[in-house]
Amino acid sequence: MKKWGIYAAIGAALYLFPWIFPNSYLIHLAQGFLYTYIVVVGLNLLVGLSGQLSLGHAGFFAIGAYGTALLNNAGVPFLFSLTLGTAICAAAGGIVAMLSLRAKGPYLAMVTIAFGMLIEIIANRWVEVTGGPAGLYLNSPSLLGLSLGIVEYYWLIALITLVITVLADNLFTSRVGRTFQAMGSSEVAAATAGVDVRNWKVLAFVVSASIAGIGGALFAFQNSYFNSDSFTWDKSILFLVGVIVGGAGTRLGPVIGTIVIFLLPQAFQSLYDYHLLIFGAILLVSLVLLPQGIVGSLGRVKGKRREALPLAKEADGAREALGTEVRWAAKRQATVLDIRQVVMEFDGYRAVDGVDLTLQGPEVRGLIGPNGSGKSTIVNVLSGVYVPTAGQMIWNTRNVTSFPPHKMAEAGITRTFQNLQLFSELTVLQNVLVGFHLHYTSGFFANLLHTPRFWREEERLREEAMHLLAFVGMAEKANEMAANLSYGEQRLVEIARAMAVKPQLLILDEPAAGASQYEVDKIVKVIRNLKEIGISIILVEHHMEIVMNVCDTITVLDFGKKIAEGDPAHIQKHPQVIEAYLGGEEVTKLVVGE
Amino acid sequence: MLQAVVSGFILGSIYAIIAQGYYITYVTTRTLNFGQGDFLMVGALLGLTSLGALMTSGINVFLALLLTLAVTCLVMGLLGWGLERIAIRPLQNNFISISWILSTVAVSMMFRNLAMLVWGRNVIPFPSPFGSGVLRFGGVGIAKHEIFIAVCALVIMGCLFIFLKKSLLGKALAAVACNPEAAALMGINPRAMAILAFALSSALAGIGGILVGPITNTAFFMGATLGLKAFAAAIIGGLDNPVGILIGGLLLGVLEQVFALGSSAYKDASAFVLILIVLIFMPQGLFGKKVKEKF
Repeated sequence: MKKWGIYAAIGAALYLFPWIFPNSYLIHLAQGFLYTYIVVVGLNLLVGLSGQLSLGHAGFFAIGAYGTALLNNAGVPFLFSLTLGTAICAAAGGIVAMLSLRAKGPYLAMVTIAFGMLIEIIANRWVEVTGGPAGLYLNSPSLLGLSLGIVEYYWLIALITLVITVLADNLFTSRVGRTFQAMGSSEVAAATAGVDVRNWKVLAFVVSASIAGIGGALFAFQNSYFNSDSFTWDKSILFLVGVIVGGAGTRLGPVIGTIVIFLLPQAFQSLYDYHLLIFGAILLVSLVLLPQGIVGSLGRVKGKRREALPLAKEADGAREALGTEVRWAAKRQATVLDIRQVVMEFDGYRAVDGVDLTLQGPEVRGLIGPNGSGKSTIVNVLSGVYVPTAGQMIWNTRNVTSFPPHKMAEAGITRTFQNLQLFSELTVLQNVLVGFHLHYTSGFFANLLHTPRFWREEERLREEAMHLLAFVGMAEKANEMAANLSYGEQRLVEIARAMAVKPQLLILDEPAAGASQYEVDKIVKVIRNLKEIGISIILVEHHMEIVMNVCDTITVLDFGKKIAEGDPAHIQKHPQVIEAYLGGEEVTKLVVGE
Repeated sequence: MLQAVVSGFILGSIYAIIAQGYYITYVTTRTLNFGQGDFLMVGALLGLTSLGALMTSGINVFLALLLTLAVTCLVMGLLGWGLERIAIRPLQNNFISISWILSTVAVSMMFRNLAMLVWGRNVIPFPSPFGSGVLRFGGVGIAKHEIFIAVCALVIMGCLFIFLKKSLLGKALAAVACNPEAAALMGINPRAMAILAFALSSALAGIGGILVGPITNTAFFMGATLGLKAFAAAIIGGLDNPVGILIGGLLLGVLEQVFALGSSAYKDASAFVLILIVLIFMPQGLFGKKVKEKF
């Protein structure tokens, strides 16, 4: 395979380097380059893929260094202490992630800054253990009793670098990377697809911290000596610069980024008095001129080369299979949703005020009402985005009142979004694949190692995803970036993604808003098909002709209360509904002409 | 102990002044200057130079001080304007939403380097214009300069609150903060407001520098820690609440000085432990607004 050919070439180049440049300064430099690169790869997974932020990665770098060094000094063999040091880092990553779960934006930045600063202070001041600024002396690293010289140690670093690169690449192209990216672009949409966002955020931090720890450990043993000056806040910033300037979320970005943050400063080392000035200027210019990083921006100029799927074939298969691809829906028993006296308050304002709603599946229920009547709030409550202030929700005899979105998805309730929440940096097909989140059975390590089981599952679900895309008529666009689609197309893809969850109840929040007439027709057809399959639907919509044509029953809300319920004909004539939509007396006067 | 609390309040009020700068730019542009500390450093060194020059020319102390403050505010305001133009605005349409962190850091690196070239590598003594006299109240000694800091902090906070809450310009800033599009439709120029916000923010950093100079080491590397601590104060209080930031700054200052009685390592660590504890329980800070996102 081509991929393995590239890896082999890189491996060979890394292996031959000391022979081509038998110069200890250059080998030393190469070592430094490689462990810096390792840290940047790890941070790229966190920042570039999962969309989180760490301004304290030097802290993990330090923990890896001190953990491994102190264990080794205490007599633990080198490789074993490296493993243990990495594990300590993973734990630290988990802790930082838990601390920062609820914090966002600058607050998240502050948590990571505080972590980095605390580690720096400990390294600096706990002199008895860390040696502080005076430093810590180590044995030279040894493998199986063999002491490693500079070239051998370089080879070890090169080997570890290669392994990490391959594994990180695997993560990128597996469902783990996809889930990270989905979470980074829309947490709430990922959650309604069944992703437990908390756990996945912790996972991203753990992976990233472990990799940074390995980098730190390799750094520590480079000179058999290091001190606490290497773990400052500037270092954390430097790592982040590597990720962003290289191109966050790209696979080649970390290589370029490391050249910028590691080799470039070496190049103008002689200009020591001006090096911050030069570095700052380069950083600023590259941020302004290449907003997606060097790799990201150049990649865009070259035109995106996406993995070319055998599209035509799969789409054909999809058309044939249209009748059978709804297997799971046919198996579904009758469903009952029972909402009792649900209240949702925001700072004393009651958006939903004691609504009762019973849904006997399979049915298509319309939910209408003027703007501000509480429709969207009900959708948010039903999908678990908000927990209601009071009241109960019973779904198939289970009390789901306080379920978070991913639990709702597990229970069989999912939704689409009025203000579109597609994962804009993923392709259409990948969006739908994220929808299959709950139906993947391969674990983290299968995805990390790309085992045969991983491939089989990936292939099977790709095919299923293509079926779903064919179902909504979007199969030809499977490899398009989601961000490039029109409104109506994005809404269709959202429906396909929601169907991938295999829900029993699908909530469509204004699926026709902003769509062209042609797209509206398409969406109506899809809703009809969904109805035929027998999935229960709650349809929130302003286009009355859709609502009146598709729904079995309609519930009307006004000012957070239910004012009417019944079949379309009943609702159309209901005086209170007409009043809510058209206004009270004044309109009657106008109409009657008094 | 009482002594520690008093000097904590003094230190905290400086944090609060710098942190208000974070508040102003954050609410108007959703960005802030991660190099605020280095702006403070530039302010301190500028103030030192200009104050020194004025004092030797024999002007009255108060006049010299006022002139220095005015000059520093002006220069820092211009620097803030420049920062907005080169490091914030060009990145506004950037899809990587954190680029502004790095771009402001990049500018601050350049300032740090320039300051080193201009003022040298060594710590420069910054004598307080009020001499080193200490007033005693019971068992608590307060340096004259510290009284000056407290008075300045009160005046600045007062002016700032009046400006933000009462003046038309302040209301325009608040309007841009709430909804830039709607503000633009009402005839407010959001870009001008962003520039104003950054100019004000930098000016506050400059004043902070002049105030803090005489009680710390004045040198090109003084900024980073102070900037981060002020950021911590802003986050503790809640970035969108100026009163909260004031309280956060004072809290942080007092806590640090009390822990400093133990050892200076505890002092530095206490700020960051405090912030972790606060954010675990209140992820929007002590007085920040909880925002419920709509979907």
